[in-house]
Amino acid sequence: IVGCIRIHFLYCSVSGAHIMQELDEAVTIGATVPTGFEHTAAEEVQEKLEATARVSKNRGRIYFDITTDTLFKVHQLKSLDNLFVVVKDYDDYQFKTTKEEVQLDWQELAAKLPWTNALEVWKLNNSIKKRKGRRKRTNPTKSDQCGNFSTKSTDTVPSDPEELWVDLESLEVKENQRDVSSQPEDDSEEEKHSEIQDQESGVTPLKFRVTCNRAGDKHCFTSNDAARDFGGAVQEFFQWKADMTKFDVEVLLNIHNNEVVVGLALTVESLHRRNISHFGPTTLRSTLAYGMLRLCKPQVSDVIVDPMCGTGAIPLEGVMEWQNSFFLAGDNSGTAVSRSVNNIKHILKRTHDGGSSSGLPLDIVQWDLCNLPMRSSSVDIIITDMPFGKRMGSKKKNWELYPLCLREMARVCKPGTGKAVLLTQDKKCFLKALSQMEGLWRKSHTVWVNVGGLHAGVFVLKRTAVGHQDGNPGAY
Amino acid sequence: MKLLTHNMLTSHVKGVTKGYPLIIKATEVKVNELEFNAQFVSRMIPKLEWNALIQAAEWLGRSQDLPSTLIPNYENDEEFLHKVHRILLEVEVIEGCLQCPESGREFPISKGVPNMLLIEDE
Repeated sequence: IVGCIRIHFLYCSVSGAHIMQELDEAVTIGATVPTGFEHTAAEEVQEKLEATARVSKNRGRIYFDITTDTLFKVHQLKSLDNLFVVVKDYDDYQFKTTKEEVQLDWQELAAKLPWTNALEVWKLNNSIKKRKGRRKRTNPTKSDQCGNFSTKSTDTVPSDPEELWVDLESLEVKENQRDVSSQPEDDSEEEKHSEIQDQESGVTPLKFRVTCNRAGDKHCFTSNDAARDFGGAVQEFFQWKADMTKFDVEVLLNIHNNEVVVGLALTVESLHRRNISHFGPTTLRSTLAYGMLRLCKPQVSDVIVDPMCGTGAIPLEGVMEWQNSFFLAGDNSGTAVSRSVNNIKHILKRTHDGGSSSGLPLDIVQWDLCNLPMRSSSVDIIITDMPFGKRMGSKKKNWELYPLCLREMARVCKPGTGKAVLLTQDKKCFLKALSQMEGLWRKSHTVWVNVGGLHAGVFVLKRTAVGHQDGNPGAY
Repeated sequence: MKLLTHNMLTSHVKGVTKGYPLIIKATEVKVNELEFNAQFVSRMIPKLEWNALIQAAEWLGRSQDLPSTLIPNYENDEEFLHKVHRILLEVEVIEGCLQCPESGREFPISKGVPNMLLIEDE
């Protein structure tokens, strides 16, 4: 049987000229999500797949069981960064104490893992990805991984407003930007690769690589050791070719203390995305925007405002999922505003091509967030990513701006029922400003997240019943 | 700019106390279909400044026999809800300006986006 598996998957081509059997079997899917948003992701899984997700002790990961006929639905979920199918997981793996012994163990393990089902899912997944073609998401994640690669991003084909901006605009890189920087056409690269495989189908062995994430202080080896040794074992077992860049199969080895999970990636890394870390804090991932929006729990007819929308990541993500709320996006920058407009046009065009003729419950205004041209108490939810950097163009610092913003937001937000979900990296300044707000806001909870390698906080605030002082509309 | 947004916007020119509603001077208006949701409309109505909405509709020449005061039991009047839906969400000002009723200051609307920025000393 072992020999059969080898041959079967040795010459399998990516194109899926193979007829795929619908297994309808239960498989375990693992997903990485923005750290801190495991529970909102689990909620989405429950809601849309009716599957119960387990939150891993290894932060930023959830697991859930599905049948293969719903695999395509998993790709449509908005909370998940990267997907993989679990080959096997051990919750109490006993590691030996020398590198040589550990290496031997990997060899033994590779030979006895139940690869078949996972590989079938991997193949099915390829055909799903090809079918999709339209949408795309890339989500650079930062390393709290000591793996082979410090950034990972997905190259599935779901939709992400961020990606659209790249398609439309020429590549602009700014510091502290929230815009997506450079991004070649992933789709076409992937297609080309598959085409090559097609041509050589039946003759070329599969290419693979192993990515290892290791955490824990009792291991006698590094993640590189494990990746190399396990990779060697996998290569020997399958006779696949190792290839770091043009791989067909990505084997994931996740080690968290004594928990070991072996998986096969279902979303592909976009290697060029790795450089995004050079440009300072990264763009807001769509999964993070989505997670923040879920924290708001938007209701029917809620007025949801992003007063510093940049190119519109949050409102666009919001309007696609919560079509019974109304989104108002604003920014002081003309460039940001026109990009947001273009992004909306792009989304509208796509939905129109898809047959729907409906518009979106969204408007954009160019405004100064410290002096919002809005009626007091007219907003239900304020949600935004608060980077104040050179983009503001003025000499004011966060310690001046944050109190002004919080006050102005308190003015427009409905007392008693309103809420705010605010992402910021300048936590110290934020908390100080908050303490000066004389009871206008109450902290509900905070989600600590990792944005571009930096620790940031998503502060969920409730607007108290305390009225704002009506006095000088200009000041606040 | 949809009229729902207009209903929430106000002039914030320094010293102005009666900056609402902003006068709409439209040079280009479009009607764009948007999916109707009765619950959305009926829950939104109490949040609106109804008079300002009527006023805005008039400025656009689209009063559409909307009543100047809300009828009781409007939640169950589908025809009424559809009318409100249309005027709130489907009629969009693409080009024009919003004028502060007190100071006269004009804020341009271009490509559907109002620019409400004030210069430093305003």
